[in-house]
Amino acid sequence: MKKLLFTSLILSTLLSNVAFATQTIKANVNGMVCAFCAQGIEKKMRALSQTKDVYVNLKQRVVAVELKDGQTLSNDTVKDLIKDAGYEVTSIEVSEHPIAQIKAGYETMEKEKK
Amino acid sequence: MFVKPLSVIMPCLAILLSYQSTEAAPMGFSESTMAMGDFNNNWREAFINYAITPRDAFGVSATYMRADDKTKTRTLEELTYTRLLKRWNMPHAQANLWFMGGLGMLQGEDKQAGNDQSFDEIMVTPGVQFDYETTRVYLAATHRFYRASDINHDYSAVRAGFSFYETEYDRTQPWFIVEARNMNGLSEKIEITPMLRFINKNFFIEAGVNNSREPRFNFMYIF
Repeated sequence: MKKLLFTSLILSTLLSNVAFATQTIKANVNGMVCAFCAQGIEKKMRALSQTKDVYVNLKQRVVAVELKDGQTLSNDTVKDLIKDAGYEVTSIEVSEHPIAQIKAGYETMEKEKK
Repeated sequence: MFVKPLSVIMPCLAILLSYQSTEAAPMGFSESTMAMGDFNNNWREAFINYAITPRDAFGVSATYMRADDKTKTRTLEELTYTRLLKRWNMPHAQANLWFMGGLGMLQGEDKQAGNDQSFDEIMVTPGVQFDYETTRVYLAATHRFYRASDINHDYSAVRAGFSFYETEYDRTQPWFIVEARNMNGLSEKIEITPMLRFINKNFFIEAGVNNSREPRFNFMYIF
């Protein structure tokens, strides 16, 4: 009985972690120099049903897309949407950090540069 | 004094680089609609296009042009096509080569002593623009033909400018831009307009006063 309870506890902890794990796709983008022109990227990303939030950083050439809980999105879809908006993706990675944390990281980095 | 060197620089830039009047880009992203306006005393243009692909847009445009001495006026309504011929995406810059063309009806009026004339003609307006932009620097050169039977109002423009500082994506960025332009057969002068440009992710506006002390206002908006 104890063993069953322990296993259930472990499983429920794991499952709850999976259910609430944040997934953010972060792309480095070439050619993104103007907010007015880059709005296409944001609009295309926000139109996806999987998207929770979008972050664009022109200085760091980064576009990050945070997904809703339990949603998935392929890197290729992100790449294609950015390409369709007129830009070129040089690298792409999946992060477990939410956009708020990624944004705070860049802000700290820029403050330190000053 | 400032005009003379420009008359040398303009053709050189046009050769090295080579749109229509004003902007960062003459079309928006795929499946977007872009509206644009460019207004001063002698040149007023309203333009709207729809991007059917990331590289192609179709639209309509209405342009009013007037000679400096007010003896000639032209009104042009066109169907337009815009094509992104080539884009260079660099780590901290972007450059573009555009084709813009139109086909429409020109209504003209020439006022001369005792001999006023008005006419309607078909006009074609093919042209190219090259632009280069970073988060701090903007350069563009445009040449567009405005041709009808016995009419040549070819348009040339160069622009250069800088932003006062870099901003975050959600903030409005101020720029200083100078444009030199000329329309053949309507003005013998090179119109030079220093302007303040404000770029935000939702809008693009420019305002300035040209070397004839006339105000100028431009805007762009993407739906």
